[in-house]
Amino acid sequence: MITRVTHQSAQRTSLANLQDNLAKMAALQAQASSGKLINKASDDPAKAAEAMALRKEQRAAEQYARNAQDGVSWLTTVDTAIQSSVDFMQRARDLTVQGANTGAVGLAAREALAVEVEGIRDALLGQANATYIGRSVFAGTANGSAFTKDAVTGEYVAATSHGTVERRVGENTTVRVDADGAQVFGDGATSAFALLTSIAADLRDPGVNVSSRITEIDTRISSMLSQASSIGARTNQLTAAQEALSTQTMTLKSDLSGVEDIDLAQTIIELQMQEVGYKAALGATARVLQPSLLDYLR
Amino acid sequence: MSTFSGLSTALTALTAQRQALEVAGQNIANANTVGYTRQRAELQSVGSGQSATMFSQGSSVGNGVQVSGISRLGDLFLDARVRTTTSSAAFLATRAEAYGRLESTIAEPGTNGIAKQLDDFWATWQDVSNNPTSAAAGQVLIEGAHSVQRAISTGYSAVSTQWEQTRGKADALVSEINTTAASVAELNEKIRSISVSGGNANELIDQRNVLTTSLASLAGATVREHPDGTSDVSIGGNPIVSGIRAQKLTVVGGTTMVGATGADTVRVEWDRVPAGTTAALGGGELAGVLSVLAPADGQGTGGLLAEAAASYNALATKVATSVNSIHETVRADGSTGGPIFSISPAGPPALVLTVAVTDPSQINPGQGGEDGSIADQISQIGNAPGSPDEAWSSFVVATGVKAKAATQSAVVAETARATADNLQLAQTSVDLDEESVNMLAFQRSYQGAARVMTAIDEMLDQLINRTGVVGR
Repeated sequence: MITRVTHQSAQRTSLANLQDNLAKMAALQAQASSGKLINKASDDPAKAAEAMALRKEQRAAEQYARNAQDGVSWLTTVDTAIQSSVDFMQRARDLTVQGANTGAVGLAAREALAVEVEGIRDALLGQANATYIGRSVFAGTANGSAFTKDAVTGEYVAATSHGTVERRVGENTTVRVDADGAQVFGDGATSAFALLTSIAADLRDPGVNVSSRITEIDTRISSMLSQASSIGARTNQLTAAQEALSTQTMTLKSDLSGVEDIDLAQTIIELQMQEVGYKAALGATARVLQPSLLDYLR
Repeated sequence: MSTFSGLSTALTALTAQRQALEVAGQNIANANTVGYTRQRAELQSVGSGQSATMFSQGSSVGNGVQVSGISRLGDLFLDARVRTTTSSAAFLATRAEAYGRLESTIAEPGTNGIAKQLDDFWATWQDVSNNPTSAAAGQVLIEGAHSVQRAISTGYSAVSTQWEQTRGKADALVSEINTTAASVAELNEKIRSISVSGGNANELIDQRNVLTTSLASLAGATVREHPDGTSDVSIGGNPIVSGIRAQKLTVVGGTTMVGATGADTVRVEWDRVPAGTTAALGGGELAGVLSVLAPADGQGTGGLLAEAAASYNALATKVATSVNSIHETVRADGSTGGPIFSISPAGPPALVLTVAVTDPSQINPGQGGEDGSIADQISQIGNAPGSPDEAWSSFVVATGVKAKAATQSAVVAETARATADNLQLAQTSVDLDEESVNMLAFQRSYQGAARVMTAIDEMLDQLINRTGVVGR
């Protein structure tokens, strides 16, 4: 069918084309100014789902990184406490060795050694009750201090019935960030504190040679060191997790940008082309609508 | 054939050409009138009367020209096509618009949507798990719970507001349909009386066409023309205008989204006695509005707003139950935590969802002491299969897919409508060049006829004034 063309239909068609051009230009302008390819789910439902999933992962990774940071701080506190404790125990060992040299050390000197050993015991207790933001790092999930002096027996008792403190650094990965106080320092009668107390008592007792205690100190130090090495391994684990998380965060960011963001150069070129098209349409419309037979009739 | 018949022939030409010129003038005057259909003066030659007398001499000449009628150059089929395409375009455009608005209230994907609030909420549980006895972390958690609750209820309220506004639109549309139908009936009456008396009702027919097209756009009306010039308009097969009588429609059903289910489903009925006859709609904006207002059917294929509201409700319930069920775990010491969220039994869950904890001490992060295992477990809800996050994300995607499909079909239907409209316009619109040429032709004919009259006049002058004066 050959369509009849009238001024009105030509005008209507031109207007529709202009409108179409303008709408496309507005869409491109919206993309260019917002920087986003997907502003609502219907722009691309599949990509919208992807974007939502990526955002979720991003938020989770952010939180895991926070947890890992917190975990590292915990482990550092634990490590520092154990290292200082080992130093204290070394000092106590030195004193014990001095005290065992009964020929050279007199009673008064042994008394002085005993006092110093007691001082070390109290300092060690301070390390055993080390805290990170108000929480005892050797007390697990228990409230309050890791070691308390039993009022009846006078022994230092570790907090009991507690779980481990874990930090989640991945959907399926948790890392233990505390150390069991009883394993590091022993508990009650078998604790490092009890040991130091007995050494002090032995030093005061002229009939006893304290040299037999040296092995006990060595055993305690070695168990402390074995805990320290486990702490070191876990710190490494957390540091590795932190690195992985920071890489993941970057990857997720670029993935999200790939899904959601516009290619600026491409969009601007498209916008320019659309603008050229629009200008051409405007020019054509101006020409189409102008002439009429009336211009040529006298 | 009389001596003066030539004069009357010239006179018919003068009259006819002038009338044709007037029609051209009317066309030009209405070149930009919406709905105007161009007209044409139909010229017809007038034959000579058969003279059956024995004195009739030779062959006779015709008696000039007459305007046999002023025809309206419309096309019923093109008009019908415009109405059909307009009806489906209006239906689909209404749905696409509703989807567009729903999507704008969802605000996904982005950093302001419910997904973000949920992600933040789960992350705060990790913080609580890290510092189970910290009141600050607990306070942040309570605020996070409030944010989730607010996001859900805001989303639901937006849907319910949209529903109510659409419901108001249904009322407005029906009253517009009723007035338009009444106007069509009135025009039918006028057209019939003019046609009966042999007059020209072209302009009224144009007006009626505009109205029936708008009825098609409003309610998918179809039109049947009658020989007496009237036309019947039907909606879904039942006449809303028959001849000079118009029927009325009325909207019945609930006025709130929650109430408009079952027997109170929003529908359109014929406003007559006995009441209760549902009017089927063939398309148009009103059908689109009714489909938007339809209740949810439990399978996700109901009205789009009610389905969206149902998704918000499901999300609210899911968030509350999944968090509460873990939080209320029986602890090692036999005690249990209270609920984090509570949903009162009355009202839509998305609106009545409230945060039950007011103080950080009411949060149960773990098995006692500094244990954060329960909080940690809750923080992982978002990753589990069947999580609220998953339900929300699939709702967003499903809405996106449907909105995209709705927009695409609306664009296609609109293209079909524009094509039909263009075809109709090509047939009916006034071409100024054509009218100029016609004007020129009629003007020239008029001049020619006047010249014929002058020639006859001179001829008669010769006969009357100068004949038989020899030698005077």
